[in-house]
Amino acid sequence: MSESHVAVGGHDAFMEPSPFGIQSKKLTMWLFIASDAITFGAVLFGYAYLRAGTPNWPTPFHFSPSIINGMVMTVVLLTSSLTMLGAVQAAKAGDKSKALRWMGLTILLGIAFAVLHIREWFHMFGEGWSLFKNPEGGSVLFGASFFSITGLHLMHVISGVIALIVIAIGYNTDWLDKNHVETTGLYWHFVDLVWMFVFPLVYLMNATR
Amino acid sequence: MSTAPSQGMGKYVAIWIGLICIAGIEVLLTYRGFSTHGLLAVLFILAIIEAGIGLAYFMHLKYESGYLVWTLVPFVVFVLLMMNQIWPDAYRVASLRLLTQ
Repeated sequence: MSESHVAVGGHDAFMEPSPFGIQSKKLTMWLFIASDAITFGAVLFGYAYLRAGTPNWPTPFHFSPSIINGMVMTVVLLTSSLTMLGAVQAAKAGDKSKALRWMGLTILLGIAFAVLHIREWFHMFGEGWSLFKNPEGGSVLFGASFFSITGLHLMHVISGVIALIVIAIGYNTDWLDKNHVETTGLYWHFVDLVWMFVFPLVYLMNATR
Repeated sequence: MSTAPSQGMGKYVAIWIGLICIAGIEVLLTYRGFSTHGLLAVLFILAIIEAGIGLAYFMHLKYESGYLVWTLVPFVVFVLLMMNQIWPDAYRVASLRLLTQ
């Protein structure tokens, strides 16, 4: 490469195209999601084997209010994925105000999910459940696995809400661009995806039947 | 970048309704009297279907380069399957309980 090429192209002249055809930030997010999927996979697989292998496992979730609450949380999180898709599409179309409105809605739905979750936790604490206590008798592993798995997921939701707020502010002030919105959207959809496993395996498997 | 076609929200709304329906089916099946192992298997399969739809359409993996898909997906599946070589040890809990009786 001639010196004039370097002078015109700067450092970009030496950069090879991504083998995956995506920006490095998006590839990084995909790699993070892959590693996080393995983390959740380990926790959920471990829980599933414990659940199936423990004879005196408690089933404390009555249809009302626990399963209904879980269904509402599922709908809220799925809807937040839809609004996030709206934000990504609007950002790609260059409609900043529309993208910000969709992101605002996603943030509100994320907060609603977290509030519903924390409210349920406190309800369970009130009944005597904790990481190491089982007020119904039987295996104490229920509390340990339930609060660990839902706590890990809730931490991801709260982190996602904070990330969305930061990205929305950055996008509004032109500090960040549409690609940041899309990359954050990937994370948010992943959080939704994990819930698709948490709800049936942790809530429905422990429903009073 | 992703080459996901921007064809409005119609398709995504349809997928969103589909995912809610699958979640509803999961709830219905919960009260159908399956054994613990049977229900676990059914719910797990439905969750994998939901996750696959979410990955393909919400996360646009369907529209990404084949290189990306073939780099990420087999790697994650392989690791998760390998974990199953050690998780069945949890069944030892049941055996231990019998020993203490």
